[in-house]
Amino acid sequence: MKAYITRRLLLAVPVAWGVVTMVFLIIHMTPGDPVAIMLGESATIADMESLRSELGLDKPVLEQYAKFLLNVVSFDLGNSIYTGRSVAESISTRYGATVELALASMALAILLAIPLGVMAAARKDTVVDRVGMALSLIGVSMPSFWIGPLLIIFFAIDLKWFPVSGRGGVESLVLPAITLGTAMAAILSRLTRATMIDTLGEDYITTARAKGLENYVVLFKHALRNALLPVVTVAGLQLGALLAGAIITETIFSWPGIGRLTIQAINARDYPLVQGCVLAIALSYTFVNIVVDILYSFVDPRVRLR
Amino acid sequence: MILFVTRILLLAFLCVSCVERQKTPPGALVIAIESGPRTLDPRLATDATSVKIFDLIYNGLVKRNDDTSIGPDLAISWELATPLQYRLNLRRNVKFHNGKEFTSADVIAQYKFLIDPANKSPHRSSMLMVESVEAPDDYTVVYNLRQPNAPFLGNLTMGIVPSGSGKEITENPVGTGFFKLAEYSRDEKLLLTANGAYFDGPPKLNSLLFRIIPDETVRTLELESGSVHLIMNPITPDLLPRLAKNEQLKVFKKLGTNYSYLGFNLEDELVGRHDIRLAIAHAIDRESVVRYILKGLAKPATGPLSVANRFYEPDVETYEYDPEKAKSILDEAGFPDPDGDGPKVRFRVEYSTSRNELRKRIAEVFQWQLQKVGIGLDIRSYEWGTFYANIKKGRFQLFSLTWVGISDPDIFHYIFHSASFPPGGANRGRYISGEIDKLLDKGRVVTGKERESAYAKAQKIIASDIPYVSLWHSVNVAVSDRKVTGFTVAPDESLGSLHTTRIKR
Repeated sequence: MKAYITRRLLLAVPVAWGVVTMVFLIIHMTPGDPVAIMLGESATIADMESLRSELGLDKPVLEQYAKFLLNVVSFDLGNSIYTGRSVAESISTRYGATVELALASMALAILLAIPLGVMAAARKDTVVDRVGMALSLIGVSMPSFWIGPLLIIFFAIDLKWFPVSGRGGVESLVLPAITLGTAMAAILSRLTRATMIDTLGEDYITTARAKGLENYVVLFKHALRNALLPVVTVAGLQLGALLAGAIITETIFSWPGIGRLTIQAINARDYPLVQGCVLAIALSYTFVNIVVDILYSFVDPRVRLR
Repeated sequence: MILFVTRILLLAFLCVSCVERQKTPPGALVIAIESGPRTLDPRLATDATSVKIFDLIYNGLVKRNDDTSIGPDLAISWELATPLQYRLNLRRNVKFHNGKEFTSADVIAQYKFLIDPANKSPHRSSMLMVESVEAPDDYTVVYNLRQPNAPFLGNLTMGIVPSGSGKEITENPVGTGFFKLAEYSRDEKLLLTANGAYFDGPPKLNSLLFRIIPDETVRTLELESGSVHLIMNPITPDLLPRLAKNEQLKVFKKLGTNYSYLGFNLEDELVGRHDIRLAIAHAIDRESVVRYILKGLAKPATGPLSVANRFYEPDVETYEYDPEKAKSILDEAGFPDPDGDGPKVRFRVEYSTSRNELRKRIAEVFQWQLQKVGIGLDIRSYEWGTFYANIKKGRFQLFSLTWVGISDPDIFHYIFHSASFPPGGANRGRYISGEIDKLLDKGRVVTGKERESAYAKAQKIIASDIPYVSLWHSVNVAVSDRKVTGFTVAPDESLGSLHTTRIKR
């Protein structure tokens, strides 16, 4: 297991390298000049040139790229061109908010989706199944820019149960987590239902029932465990996406996460900050994937991590 | 397995519940703003949010009055000792938020900071006209200029920081203003508390909380829910009728100093022609856009200066909406309409704009209006960074932008003088006129009536040459809770009136 984790962590290096290289090339090819954005239009040409050379932007792109890689290797992500703050610090202050929202939405999605999916599969083609799947269809069809304001109007303005926006205590997390979690819950519950139906048709389930086991033991202990493998994969991928920041939800709820930071950095052509954000996102994606693979071995003991 | 998942979920919830709750201090006025300030150091900022917040934390040597004239602030009086020398008398007994007394040494230190290229200040160019600055005593400052410069005092509105201030000031500002910073959480909130030692008396409010809420609908909902007391520009015109109907809210409007225009690339073989620009000017119905899209939140403009500006010249050529006239100008120009009112066009022009929804809608209206006179408009909407870079590099035929906060007419030098082509200036359309160059150079060095007459002439020539089609001056809007009293909207969106604003409990 240890060797496996080490190997997977080492494999994250080429992934991160590939991603930052692509982003480096794309952002340097996009029109827009960070120096002009920083100094404003009235700056003299001499001032602009001197800042450009100080930031190393006058060097050939390949040379800038080599310098950037060297800095990354020595854990120095540089300073934001726009605000002058350290990139690592800017990202770390935002990352907490993103992780908080991602975990809460994922928790909500799993708590809703798995019982719903299991119930729908166990009572296949009954009212329970149809209502459950209709609900999940509605959930997956509601875009966050619509459900977000709707939740705000109903729960924050009419009922005054939760704050409208901003990051504070648990109460401020509820509405953004529902906004993000609903669509995920919908996908996961449909997936759980489908894999559960397959599993419930297996011979060993019939054996379990023939042994006279209680229905919930058959469902949750024998069937669900085997049905969960694809669900864990999809949930992991979705968690990875959530850790990249949910830009729309973060904007609606004034949530200071990494998605908004990345967009602001792109708009200001803040090269070091864009690269830092993308690196953080790529690494968290890779990390989540490793965790998912490890979880496999818990869910299915036949899976050996080598 | 289930136990394992439950444990993870529980842990996640525990982590989440450790976060401190967001609280509003009692008696605070809560203002929602779209984005946070880029920096709290006035020597480095140019973005609109930073500049607004500086009105509260800092004082400049002078300030702009509502009629765009210059009034006293930390300097109580000044004289032009010679055409090259400004002598300013400073206010006494003014204390910075850290208790240090404000003296001429702070002014000198700020000047040195600004001109030092190592500090990368975007305001460096505004001080390059200064030969030297002297402080004969603690309360007098003398600026020696390289050449006469009439608008010079306008460069002294920047907030003054204590001498010796370094990088720390970008997050921990120290000024002399009527509010001081208490708490700052980047991109979340900014809490200011009253400066009891303010030289003009402490503010009526004990604290101000700026909450950064990027989504406009949410800012509006926060205001309606009562958790925010004041929102300001930008407010989409479509949202305003709904807010105006709410009895708990008050709407403030004031003609602003922002100027929207259509810019032409004068090096282009089509729109570089005066007759084509004239036809476009007559083909555009600005009144309809103001009435139906901007819901009256703008006033058609005749030039960059608004009527509130003391240099405004009313007697300039204007271009009323007259599609028939536009058509005949185009016919005479050698561009006959191939099929009359049919879909074929005389020629096509590319119109660049940003991705802003309102701007795209306006572009579509222009497209329709120009189609009626036989001009095909191809709208290209770009992401802001790309759009702005294209405009500066002259990669456009036609574009629309807004000049924000026009006060002194010296801005004409920056946008119409032939020495102001980008990147050193903003004559983006490459407009060249010897007469305009002379008038704008003169406007810089003369004062009084002579200066007024130079800019009056310049406004007339620019209006006739049509390097821009003037669109409108926007109206500044703010919406507050009825409990808020004493707040007014300034033409330049300054927040100075918060000094006398109160909130009823």
